[in-house]
Amino acid sequence: MNQVCQCLPGTSIYQPHLMEIVKIIAETEDTKTFHLQFQDPAVKEAFSFLSGQFAEYSVLGEGEATFCISSSPTRMDHLEFSVKRVGRVTQALHHLNTGDAVGFRGPYGNHFPLDRMKGKNLVFIGGGIGLAPLRSLIQNVLDNRLDYGEIAILYGARTPQDLCFKYDLEAWDQNPTVKVITTVDAGDKTWKGKVGLVPITLEEMAPSPNNAMAITCGPPIMIRYTLIALEKLGFTPPQIWTTLEMKMKCGVGKCGRCNIGPLYVCKDGPVFSFEEIRNFISDEF
Amino acid sequence: MYKKISKEKFLQWLSRLKNQSQVLAPERENGLWTYGEWKNQDLPERFPNSRLSPKGLFLESLKPLFSWNSPGGSLQVNSIPPSHSPRVIFGIKACDARAIRILEPVFAGNFPDGFFLGNLARTVLLGIACRVQCPGSFCREMGIDPQESANCDIFFRETLEGKIAKMVTEKGEDLVEGNDLWVESSPEEWESARKEIKGQREELRFDLEKVKDGMARHFPEEDLWQRVSAKCINCGACTYLCPTCHCFDLGDLQVPGRGARFRSWDSCAYPSFTRMPVHNPREEKWRRYRQRVGHKFYFYPQNFQQVACVGCGRCVAHCPVNLDLREVLLEVAR
Repeated sequence: MNQVCQCLPGTSIYQPHLMEIVKIIAETEDTKTFHLQFQDPAVKEAFSFLSGQFAEYSVLGEGEATFCISSSPTRMDHLEFSVKRVGRVTQALHHLNTGDAVGFRGPYGNHFPLDRMKGKNLVFIGGGIGLAPLRSLIQNVLDNRLDYGEIAILYGARTPQDLCFKYDLEAWDQNPTVKVITTVDAGDKTWKGKVGLVPITLEEMAPSPNNAMAITCGPPIMIRYTLIALEKLGFTPPQIWTTLEMKMKCGVGKCGRCNIGPLYVCKDGPVFSFEEIRNFISDEF
Repeated sequence: MYKKISKEKFLQWLSRLKNQSQVLAPERENGLWTYGEWKNQDLPERFPNSRLSPKGLFLESLKPLFSWNSPGGSLQVNSIPPSHSPRVIFGIKACDARAIRILEPVFAGNFPDGFFLGNLARTVLLGIACRVQCPGSFCREMGIDPQESANCDIFFRETLEGKIAKMVTEKGEDLVEGNDLWVESSPEEWESARKEIKGQREELRFDLEKVKDGMARHFPEEDLWQRVSAKCINCGACTYLCPTCHCFDLGDLQVPGRGARFRSWDSCAYPSFTRMPVHNPREEKWRRYRQRVGHKFYFYPQNFQQVACVGCGRCVAHCPVNLDLREVLLEVAR
């Protein structure tokens, strides 16, 4: 666990560090990836995080919103996060330019169990912007490639235009030690990849559950059916991991809204094994 | 340790305390009891309880957390330090004092909320025994003795002559230590100052242990929660009045060139509380009502080994549609 406050002495847990936007990548029509640098070199020096953790990002005056850190702790030159334009804060973020300041609080929450993944075959299943948290883990794993077994990545989006991180998908596809399958719900004339929903494509892909772990993130409906598909394929609940999204304000277990039953997604998660959440997943997620 | 003091000398003592700290006491504002800066007025006897719980003295309903401005065009974030100025709050009831302690673990821990904890540290709580059963209350069902409290620094019982005080903490003792206004008292005198509580029921209405057991059993029953929440109008009054409800929102206010972020009370009764752009896990009313009851009687015991309700009865007495939590708990205990 890395759950200690990395806030500056004398400041409150609610006060963000300022970060500068050093690069903006337009992923799709409505999604952008931001590359950030801490303004204060001392903060940059002291900062650390683990794949799967999230942070609270501010546009001061507009508010704060929760996003995972989508870059890997093995690549600490800058931090990355990806934002789909859906509401007030995300809209404000989309209006920012390189050189603008963003408030940053974090990292918060738990992380993917890298220790338990060592030596295992890994199956990553992402949908839409849900690839962002998996991407941190995938980069992390690829930067220590010899520690892990076979790696398969299944990624789906609604249409070819909705695919995020196309540059990563291409790079992973060119890596001979990684199997990449990309699918869309509805193709177009130029689309040469698969067409089909993620859980169905997963069943066709039929990864073996032997010595394997599956890690999934996407819209709630996709996660729900992916869990069913994985169980059909023989994956047991402790072999299946996911990272959940809930509305959050504080990010540190106080504001009271991100709970699923007694579990707070912000501090008990966002990473959960299916074992931990199977009783809640069909109810309040 | 027990001490006693006459009515007149008690007021003298409070005015001496004003030299070293702020003193808050019950007062009426627009006809409703609240806690305000004590202006040497006579103190009410048989003060029932404040309409709003005193949680707002610890978790402010609107609290600036930090501010920003742009001197010379570049953004600068400014800390707002928590207050350390000492204060004494007189007149806290056993239920509300307990509630403040119940909230503590949420705001402490690895990510301490310095504002809440600072408020706690700078406060001496002077509690007072109840003489009237508050409307809607069920404190004894929640294991609270309205004439005793381990959660205040000093706890008082009223007598004909004045007050008997039980020193609960060192912080409390320090306030009285060496003070010529006080006279030694005894456990016997303390016991004999236990008085009848006007309007108190003989029987307890439900067994808290059965409620806790029942929560695990009944939590998944949509029918039950649909039924008990049917008349709820999502006004959130219960959550604002409640001494243990602590859910909050973070939001910004700004004018050109500067602004601040605020922590403000929020409520699980509102659909917007958990609404995300494409999904809301608690869109239906019965889920939100279940969350409120579940948070207090099911999740909180799992996370903090205590129930997050003190039975003050504010939610029962002031619900605009008479939704009675006691009746819901009775159903859950079945």
